[in-house]
Amino acid sequence: MDNIAENWPPFKGDYIIGDPESCIAVVTLASSIETCDEAAIWGTCKTENLGVEKVVTNVISNSNIRYILLCGGESRGHLSGKSLISLHENGIDNNGRIIGSEGAIPFIENIPESAIKRFQEQVDIVDMTGITDTEKIHRLVHEYYRKNGPYEENPYILQKNNKKPAKTIKAGSSADIIISEEFGIDSVTGSIFKINV
Amino acid sequence: MFRFQKDQTICNIAGTKVGGQPGELPSVIAGTIFYKGHKIVSDPTKGLFDKSSAEELINIQQQGSDETKIPSIIHIYAESSESIIRYIDFIDNISDVPFIVDSSEPDVRINASKHVTETGLADRAIYNSLNMSTEYEEIEALKISDVDSAIILGFNAVDSSLDGRISLLDNGGNLLDKGLIDVAEECGIRNKLIDPSITPMGNGAGIALRMSIVSKAKWGLPVGSGIHNAPSSWKWLQEKKKEDYLKYKICDIGSVSMQVVAAGDYVLYGPIENSPYVFPIVSMADIMVRESVDDLGIESSLMHPINYLV
Repeated sequence: MDNIAENWPPFKGDYIIGDPESCIAVVTLASSIETCDEAAIWGTCKTENLGVEKVVTNVISNSNIRYILLCGGESRGHLSGKSLISLHENGIDNNGRIIGSEGAIPFIENIPESAIKRFQEQVDIVDMTGITDTEKIHRLVHEYYRKNGPYEENPYILQKNNKKPAKTIKAGSSADIIISEEFGIDSVTGSIFKINV
Repeated sequence: MFRFQKDQTICNIAGTKVGGQPGELPSVIAGTIFYKGHKIVSDPTKGLFDKSSAEELINIQQQGSDETKIPSIIHIYAESSESIIRYIDFIDNISDVPFIVDSSEPDVRINASKHVTETGLADRAIYNSLNMSTEYEEIEALKISDVDSAIILGFNAVDSSLDGRISLLDNGGNLLDKGLIDVAEECGIRNKLIDPSITPMGNGAGIALRMSIVSKAKWGLPVGSGIHNAPSSWKWLQEKKKEDYLKYKICDIGSVSMQVVAAGDYVLYGPIENSPYVFPIVSMADIMVRESVDDLGIESSLMHPINYLV
């Protein structure tokens, strides 16, 4: 079994790759903290929706990662750290809202529930939110670096094309230029008008 | 270019006009001050900052407005209830243009709405923002305040498509009991400024441009955004920035003109330090748009860069 997805991590972001065989990932929330090579991936997470989605996606695509160390200052208003913990503990409701999160807009749009379930099963969260002491964080990383074996399933790969396909607008209207299902442009008068459908 | 069949609302916010048909009015631009990491701020919790530097930045923005006739407003960002009051009072002392009150914390925004009401500054304040996570307490605070201008954010975290964003404003999009435009109306917001919401590139940033046109066609309300957030959150560009800062700067400043050409009425252009670069590009975009609608029956304001810069 290959524990790491090809071209891991699948999503770009504000992070640095260390040792992909390591079983700990470090999320420094809104802080920039000097990295340590013993972590698999090390980066910030400032938003409670897209930021959290990226962390989940990049973590579950590497089965070696069994722990997420949350540290650094919480992202004010967004509460991305607390949202990540809530997602791990409670998942999402029918609207995609992270249950129990008090972040500003804590919704998950682009990853399926199966990915969240995998996230909950694959990793434990080590919550050190607020800690910015580099030495202490590096010590923790060293402690967890080889603490556990890989998760016993293949990496969960969620590529960008797993997103819901965009709905295609039907072009059967009288407008020369289509802006939306509701509006078009008349190319002679330059007028934007409501299409009668 | 184009004109809208739908009548376009022009909002008058303490004398600054925003909205209308493309080319009718110059775009209104807003530079952000006291933002996270702003070097003039020494204590973001208490609201301590270098007053002479702040005044200089605001004066530079104002000089750009005076020269180009592009109106400007001041976008105040605060991290605490204490700091927002200091910032508002400072701005009131040195400028008479409208200002946006903004924070990621609802309590800070609520405190701002109370403060501008108590001090008679509510007509200059633009509340940023009413959005899908605005809760009861914030709505009630706005209702009893004198604030009558707000940005209404089309960010839909469950459905970031054009339909998803439009429906959030229109009918709540299965997330809210009613659309955010109706919520704004209930809060006494007369000047409704639509923000289609700039998500990162790869997550639908471009949709905001089309939504700008669609929302003006649908509601006739002024529209604009903080479009610079698209290049600033673009990881690839951040890497290029390390090798040549100009590559980043061109995208950062240039993005502002994209919003203007996509029927934008206002733009939050990011750090106020950028104002000397933003005025020329917005002037250029405004003049181009104005010239493109010459024969569409749109009368433009005399106070337009086309009458002063070419």
